[in-house]
Amino acid sequence: MPAIIQVTNLCKSYLDGDNRVEVLDRLSFDLDAGCSLAVTGPSGSGKSTLLNVLAGIVACDSGSVVLNLNGQCHEVHSATQKQRTAMRRKNIGYVYQFFNLVPTLTVLENVRLPARLNGRRDLDDVAVDVLGEFGLGERLHVFPEVLSGGEQQRVAVARALLLKPPLILADEPTGNLDAGNSLKVAELLFERSQRAGLSVVVATHSEAIAARADYHLQLLAPGRISLA
Amino acid sequence: MIALALWRFLKRTPLSTAMALLGVALGVTSIVSVHLISANVAERLDQLIPGELNGYTHFLHRDGLIAADYFELRQRWLQAAADEQWRDVEQLAPLIDETTTIQGQVVRVIGIDLFSTGQLSQLARAGDAQSGWDWRGVWADELAAELTQRPVNSVLEGDSGLLVADIGVAQEILGWDAQRLSYIGVVVRDSAAGLKRSAEQLVPGMSAGLPQRQLEIAAAEQYAVLSLAQQHPASQFGKSVLFNISALGLLAMLVAWFLIYQVAVSWLRRLWPVFSRLHVLGIEWRSLQLYFVGAMGLLGCVAALVGLAAGYFLAQLLFDLNVPHETATFAFSWWVAAKGVGSALAVCLIGGVWAFRRAQGLPQGEGRFGLLIGAALFAGVGVVWTSSGLLGGFAAIAICSFMAAFMVSPLLVYLRARASVWRGAYLLRWSAREAVWYPQDLAVAIAGLTLAIATAIGMGLMVDSFREDFSRMLERRISYDLVVTGDHQELNQLVRQTLVLQAVKRVQTYAERDVRLRGVRVKVVASHYDALESARYGFPRPLEAGEVLVSEQGAKLLKVNVGEPLTIDQTEFAVVGLFASFGDVQPRLLVPRSVGAPETEGSITSVSLKTAEPLKIANSLQQTFPDLKIERYAEIRQTALETFDQTFVITRVLILIALIVAGIGIYVALTTLRLNRSSSTRLMVALGLRRTEETGMDFMLGATVGLVAIVLAIPLGTLFGWILCSVINPRAFGWTIELQLAWQSYSEPLLWGGIAAVSAGLVRVGRTETGGLRAVV
Repeated sequence: MPAIIQVTNLCKSYLDGDNRVEVLDRLSFDLDAGCSLAVTGPSGSGKSTLLNVLAGIVACDSGSVVLNLNGQCHEVHSATQKQRTAMRRKNIGYVYQFFNLVPTLTVLENVRLPARLNGRRDLDDVAVDVLGEFGLGERLHVFPEVLSGGEQQRVAVARALLLKPPLILADEPTGNLDAGNSLKVAELLFERSQRAGLSVVVATHSEAIAARADYHLQLLAPGRISLA
Repeated sequence: MIALALWRFLKRTPLSTAMALLGVALGVTSIVSVHLISANVAERLDQLIPGELNGYTHFLHRDGLIAADYFELRQRWLQAAADEQWRDVEQLAPLIDETTTIQGQVVRVIGIDLFSTGQLSQLARAGDAQSGWDWRGVWADELAAELTQRPVNSVLEGDSGLLVADIGVAQEILGWDAQRLSYIGVVVRDSAAGLKRSAEQLVPGMSAGLPQRQLEIAAAEQYAVLSLAQQHPASQFGKSVLFNISALGLLAMLVAWFLIYQVAVSWLRRLWPVFSRLHVLGIEWRSLQLYFVGAMGLLGCVAALVGLAAGYFLAQLLFDLNVPHETATFAFSWWVAAKGVGSALAVCLIGGVWAFRRAQGLPQGEGRFGLLIGAALFAGVGVVWTSSGLLGGFAAIAICSFMAAFMVSPLLVYLRARASVWRGAYLLRWSAREAVWYPQDLAVAIAGLTLAIATAIGMGLMVDSFREDFSRMLERRISYDLVVTGDHQELNQLVRQTLVLQAVKRVQTYAERDVRLRGVRVKVVASHYDALESARYGFPRPLEAGEVLVSEQGAKLLKVNVGEPLTIDQTEFAVVGLFASFGDVQPRLLVPRSVGAPETEGSITSVSLKTAEPLKIANSLQQTFPDLKIERYAEIRQTALETFDQTFVITRVLILIALIVAGIGIYVALTTLRLNRSSSTRLMVALGLRRTEETGMDFMLGATVGLVAIVLAIPLGTLFGWILCSVINPRAFGWTIELQLAWQSYSEPLLWGGIAAVSAGLVRVGRTETGGLRAVV
C-alpha cells in the first residue's frame, strides 16, 4: 500500500521585503495511510507552510508532493489550482488554531458545510450524531460566538471528521486552548481519526500532543529537520 | 511622526483613499454644478421682473384704485412713522402695470412716479442692469436729470413688449383717466434680508421655500395685499424649480457623508491597534483624533478641488442638455468655492470625528427613540402646516431620510436575530447572513444606498405621475389639429375663409386679455365653451353664461373654490370648476364668450381648427397668411413632452451621481466586511471553495445588502413621492399631481440600486488592501 503522503526535496521560500527566506529546503518524508504525524518546531520554522503546501493551498517552489487519497494519486506540486481545490474539498479535513468556524453559520451548519460543498445531504443526520457524541447536541442551532474556545475547536474537529477524509491537517488546533481543553480536543482528533483509519498531520508546539502522534517531524530551522 | 505614519497609511491604502476622494469629489461636483446652473437661471429669472418693480416687497390693490387712495395712505404713513405698524414700511409709491394692445402688438405698460427718489434710483439701476434699452425722450426736469442722468417724463422704450413710462404717460397710453392706478407699491424692511440672501447662495431657490413676510398694517385691510412672488408667479415658479434641484443636489453630498463615515470606520479598524499602542505610550486620544481628522480634512480639500473642476464641466454638460440652443458662461464666485470646500471639509471632518468617537466607544446616539418620535412630529408639522411652505415639505423629506437612516442598524440587528431560520444553499445563506451580521460596519453604507434609491423612487413617482397628468392634460387639450396666432385682423380673415372650407370640421376662436382681479393679474380667455370645448378642461358640460372655470394656480392666488362667486369687470360669475394648467405662469379664467370678454371680432387672439388634413390646410393657410403663426397640435404636444423630459435631465443626473456615491459607500463597507471575513475565507479555501462559488457568495452579499436597502427604500421612496406630489408641488407651483404608483417608477431605481450593491459586492479590485480570498492564506 503506497504512502498517503510522499514528499521529496520540497522547497518553499517567501519574499520578505527584498530578502528571500527559504522556509522549507529539500524536505523529504513519507507517511503511511492511517498514521499520524506531529510537526513541531519554533515559530517561523515552516510548520504552517508545510501544511498549506500539503493541502495545495500554496504551491511549492520545487520538489514533489504526492498524495494518495481514496485510491487516487494527486501530484499536488504540478496540479492546477482548480485540481488542488477539488482534491482538498473531497479528501482533506482542515482544522485551524483560530477562527475555525464561519460566524454566520450555526454549529450544525458549520459541521455540515464540507458535506454540502460536496453536494451531499445524506450526512445531515450524521452531523447531528457526531455533534451529539462530541457533547454539543444541545447547541446545534446556536451561532459560534456563544461557544467557548474548547467547544469551537470540538465543532471544528467534528467538521473535519464528518466526510471521513483520508487526510486531516490540523494547524495548531489546540494552541488557543487551556491545557485541559487542549488535551480533550487532541484526544478527540486522534482517537476519532484512528478509529476511522484516517491519517492526521498536526502542526503543534505541544510536546504532549506530539507524543500522541505515531511520528514526529521536527523542523529545526529553515531546511533542517529531525525525524523521530 | 504620527502625521508621517498616517500619510504612509493613506499611501498604502490607495484604493480606499481613492474611493473616498472620488465619493466626496462627486458630492462636491453635484453641489457646484447645481449652484452654477442655478446662478445662471436665477439671473434669467430676475430679468422676468422689470427692474422698476423688483424692489417692492408688497403690492396693494382694490377695485377702482385711484391716486387719492395712495395719497391718503401715504399721509397716514408719514404721520404714523413712529407707529409700530408702519415702522418697517420704507417706501410707498403709486404704480401702473397693465397689458394693452398697441398697433396689434401686446405691450405691457409700466407706469411709475419718476419723482419718487426710490423710483429714480430703481430706474437708474434698471437702466444700468438691462442692456438693450433705448432711452429716448427729452429732458423735462433738471432735478430729475440730475438725479438720474436719464431722460424722464417720456416713454422709455424697452424690448420684449415692455414699455416703461411716467404714470401720466402710461395712463394716457392705456386710455385711463388721470387718477387711476394699478396698485400701490410697498417696500417693507426685512431684517432677515441678509440672511435670506446668504441662504439663497447656499441653497439656490431657497427664498421661494421660506415663508414670506406678511404686511401687518391695519390700513392694508381695505386692500388686496400681494407679495412680489404672487405678483410675478413666473419668477417664483422658476425659483421653486431651483429649490427642488438644489435640494436634490445636496443629496449626493449627504450620501457622500455616509461614504466618508464608512471610509473612516474602515480605516480606523486597521489603525486602531496602532492608536491603542500609541495611547499606551502616552499620546492623548485627543491628539490622535486630531491627526486622524486632519488626514480626513486633507482628503476633503483635495476632493473639493477635484469636485470644483468637475462641477464646472458637469454644469456645462447639463446646461447643454437642458437648453441645447444656448450657450452659458458660468462664473466662479467665492460662494461656489466656499460651498465646495466647506461642504467637503464638513463632510470629512464630521465623518472623521464621529467614526473616531465610535471607535473609542463613546456614546453617539442616546435617546434615539425619543429623537425619532420628535423628528416624526416635526416632519408631520412640515407636511400639515401649509404656511411652512416648500421648506416645510423638504424638511419633512430630510427628517424622514434621517429617520430611515437611524432605522437601518436596528433593522439589521432584528434580521440578525432571526438569521438562524434562513434557508437555502449554505454558501448563499452564509453570505446573506453576513450582510446583516455587522450592523456597525454596514448600517451607514446601507443608509446611504437606501436614501439614494428612495430619492430616485420618490422623484420617479413624482415625475411619472406628473408626466401622466401632463400628458392627459395635453390629450384633452389637443382636440384640434391646428392652432393659429397673430394679428387679430388677419385671424378674422382666416376664420371667415376656413368656415367655408369643407376640410375644416370645426373653427374655435379665443379672445384673451389680462385683467386684474383681487390684485392678481390673470388671463381671461373668452370662447364658446360647448361640450367639446369644456371637455378639454375636464368640465363635463357646456359652460353657461355667468359661469367661470379657474385654473388651479388662479384658484390658489384668488383664494376661490368651486361654488364661490368671482367678480370680473363688475360682472359676478360662479366658479363651477377648476382645471389643471401645468406650466402656466399666469392664472387663467375661462368664461363664455357672451359675457365678461370683448365680443368684437377684433379681440380674437387665437384660432383652433379641427381638420382631417392638417398638413394640407396648414400649408394652404400659411401661403395665404404668411404673417400668422400656424402650428400643428401634434407637434406642440411632442415638443411639450420633449421639453418636459429635458427639464428632468438634471434630476436624473443628480440621482445617478448619488447612486454612484452610494455604490462606492457600499463597496467601502464591503471592503471592511472582507477584513472581518478574512479568517473565514481562509477556512473556506482550506475546505476547497471554488472561484465560482466565491463569486456567487460575493454576489449574494451585495444582493442582500441591496435588498435590505430596497426594502427600506420602497416605503420611504413612496413617502417621498407623496410629499413631492401632494405637499411640495401644490405649495411650489399651485398645482396638484395625482400620485400614481406605477411599477415603472420603482423598477428603474431598484434596478440601479441593486446593480450598485451587487457591483460593490463583485468588484474585488481591492484584494491588495483587503487581503483577497487567495491572498489571505
